[in-house]
Parts: sequence; C-alpha cells; structure tokens
Amino acid sequence: MTLDVSRFLEVASVHLLTRSLPAVGDAYEQSALGALAVLLSVVREDFDRAAERRVAENAALREIFAQAVDIVEDPALRGQLEAAAGKGEPSLRVSDLERVNSELRALLIMLHAEVETLDGGAARDCEVRIWRELAASTERRRIAIGPF
Amino acid sequence: MSDLAVRLAAYIKKRLPDAKDVRVEGLERIFGGASRETYRFVLHLREGDTETQRRLILRRDPPGSLIETERAIEFETYRAFYGSVVPVPEPLWLEEDDRWLDHPFFVMEEIVGFESNPQLIAQPPFSEHAAAFAERTWTILGEIARADVKALGIDAVMETVSPAACAERELAFWEAKIDRDEACPQPVIRAAIRWLRRNPPPPAQKVGVVHGDFRTGNFLFDAEGRIGAILDWEMAHLGDPLEDLAWGLNPVWRFGGDERAGGLAPNEDAIRIWEAASGLIATPEALRWWEVFSCVKGQAIWISGGHEFSKGANQDPILAVAAWLMGNSQDRAALHLLGKLS
Repeated sequence: MTLDVSRFLEVASVHLLTRSLPAVGDAYEQSALGALAVLLSVVREDFDRAAERRVAENAALREIFAQAVDIVEDPALRGQLEAAAGKGEPSLRVSDLERVNSELRALLIMLHAEVETLDGGAARDCEVRIWRELAASTERRRIAIGPF
Repeated sequence: MSDLAVRLAAYIKKRLPDAKDVRVEGLERIFGGASRETYRFVLHLREGDTETQRRLILRRDPPGSLIETERAIEFETYRAFYGSVVPVPEPLWLEEDDRWLDHPFFVMEEIVGFESNPQLIAQPPFSEHAAAFAERTWTILGEIARADVKALGIDAVMETVSPAACAERELAFWEAKIDRDEACPQPVIRAAIRWLRRNPPPPAQKVGVVHGDFRTGNFLFDAEGRIGAILDWEMAHLGDPLEDLAWGLNPVWRFGGDERAGGLAPNEDAIRIWEAASGLIATPEALRWWEVFSCVKGQAIWISGGHEFSKGANQDPILAVAAWLMGNSQDRAALHLLGKLS
C-alpha cells in the first residue's frame, strides 16, 4: 500500500469533526478540535503543492534577479543578485527549498526597496515584474477556505 | 468546583467581604479569545438573607497570545464607556497580582442572549438584519470616535499622541512586531510599509479613542437585529479614529462571502453612517492610508500569534489557524488595496 498523505489528512480531519468532536463534552475542547480539523485540511491543501510552489517561486525570483543585475547601481546588492541568480536548488526537500525561498525573498525585499528609488523605464519594468511575482506568489499560497 | 473556580471564588470573597457562601459554578472556557483566556461562570453568593446569582466573564492573561496587550487599559476603557451610548458590559474587578489566578485578570458582566460568532451573522435569521446591524455598529463606532477623551478620563491610562503623529506611531509599533516575530520574510507587507511611509496621511482630524479591533466578530448581536455590546477592547488606544473605520473595512473581515464590509454593508454605506455619527470626514486618501495600514497591523497580529504558537508559549490551535489561514488572505488584501492584485 502506498500511503496517500492527502487522503490520510482528509480522513483525520473528518474523523475529528464527526467522531471526536461530538464525543467531547467541553465546549472549549470541541472548538479546539474543530480548529485542528481546519488546520489538517489546510495542511492537506498545502502538502501536495509544497515542493512545486517553492521550486516555481525560487525560479521566478532568480529570473527577476538576473534581469535586475544591470539596473541596480549598488555594487554589493548587484553581487548578491548575481550570486543568487546563478544558484540552483540544494535538494527537493521542502525544508531546503523553504530555507532558500526565505533567502531569496529577503533579497527580493532589498531589491524592491532599491528599485523604488531608481529612475528610468528599466527600473519601472523591474518594479512591475516584482509586483507581478508578489501577486503570483500570494496566489500560489492561496488557501481555499481563506477569508479573502 | 475546579481549582480555578475555587481560587476565583476566594478572590471574589476578598473583593466582597460582606458576602457569604461565595461560589463559582459552571466555569467554562470560551473558544476564540486569542489575546486573553475568556471564561464564563455563574457567581452565587448570599448577602444577608438574600441569595443572588450573576453571570460573569473572567478575562485572564494567557502565557502568550496573538499580541501582548495591556489588560488595565482594556478594563479602564470598559469602565469609561459603561453606561454611555457605546454599549459595553459592566467591568467589575481588575487584578494584576499573579498570586490569585497565576496571571493578571479582570471580571466583568456577561451579556446574555446574544451571539458573537462572525460566521453566523451572514446566515438566517441574523442575515435578515444586516442593514440594521450595519447602521447600529458603524453608528456606535462613530460615537466612539466622537467621544471626548478628557471627559471619559481615559487619557489617564492611554498614551497621548498628537494628531500629526498618530499614523507613524502606529506604523512603527506594528512594524516592530513584524521585525521581532517574523518567521520568514514578508515582501508584500514590507512593500506596503514602504508605500505607507512614502504616502503619509494628513494629521488626524481629532485624537480620539480607537477601539483597535472593531469588526464583525467583536460585537454581540441577536436575531432581532440588536447589538448587545462591543467587546474585545484589548488593543484600545488614543489615535486617529479613521484607524478603526479602516480596520473594519479590511477585506479579511467580510465573512459574508461577498464584498460587503463585515458581511453587513457596502463600504460606502459604512463610511456614510460613520461620518454622520462621528461628525468626522473620511477623505478617500486618508482612509486608503489607514486601510493599507490595517493590512500591516493584521499581518503583524497573525505573525505574532504564529510566533507564540511556534515557540510553545501558547499552543491554542486558534493561533496556528489564524497564522496560516489569515496570513495569505492578509497579503491578498494588501495587494488588492494597493491595486496590485490582478
């Protein structure tokens, strides 16, 4: 049998809601179980896409950095952008991808702040690309039951 | 009685030395109070030949919360508004000595016969009263904005601020929370913070009481279309009243599954009602600043709660749910308000 994690989480969530929750008398604990069931359903949604989302996002950020190298005037930032743009993923483990993603998003914040101060069409184009990626990354992370 | 009930009864006995047979019964925790542990209970006691019982609420500081707040300010704000046009429960006792219940706490009246669950307000029979709820809640918010800070005496416990400094003070406060607690970089919210600094709002028209979390979910409502009380004043402070208006309009509080603010009414209606009650004007530029700010504040709250959960200070599942579920929606709201969400 191959373990289907998504199915397991679905079953666990439904079990909590339909079996465990009614069996608990305390109202606070009932609500806490309900919240845990919601959490499992969120984990289920995020689990399947975890590696793909991070790989896609890291690639998109490296592409932005590669294009931004010629725009940025600060040599230290330019060096960081060049270095980040040239690297690949250390592995496909989610923890590794997430660590790299955090490094790249921290660099994106620095680049975004820098580009906002620069004049010229190339800087504006870069800014547009950054905002487009921020919207895309927020969409990749979207949770179906989120309130907005 | 549970240990907590016994200790609470002992405390109340100290506060009411003439009372006899003081008992705390039916003590149960209410889910969802993410910044305080909230319990309801029935206080039984005898005064002379008269036996009385009263339903009360205990609000106790947790070991960690969505955001650290000052319970004395919350208590004094209840006290300032109790009996006014702004409906709040009667506050009874504030205790900051840990020896009674391990953490500081206060006790107040329980308002019965009302609901607070925001998911219910968009469903029958409550949804039939959406317009009435909207009229009443934004009128109350306008009354809070209109209130005279000095007459309330609230300036004795809340830090004062000049009209020109309201915006930057709040922005710096919440930015510092993000700096301290973020588990991963926040490029959307950092961009929003830079936008806010580049586009400062005009000075506040007045410095008033800001509830700090005025939204659907933090007031009591019933099936007759009535508002029973405004709750959860733990983030109350002095500031620009537009902060409260903008917070309630944040898309993450829509609840109704459509574009109505708080699941109740279009933004324009909410603004019109609030302006009429407050006597203030919500200019689009100033309101937009505070709406974008509300996303920064919201994200700071979700980040802070997630931090408390992750470090083990408070493992109430509501903190994890809020951090995971609301964080993405808050980024989406920021992008939407900045015109960057396609």
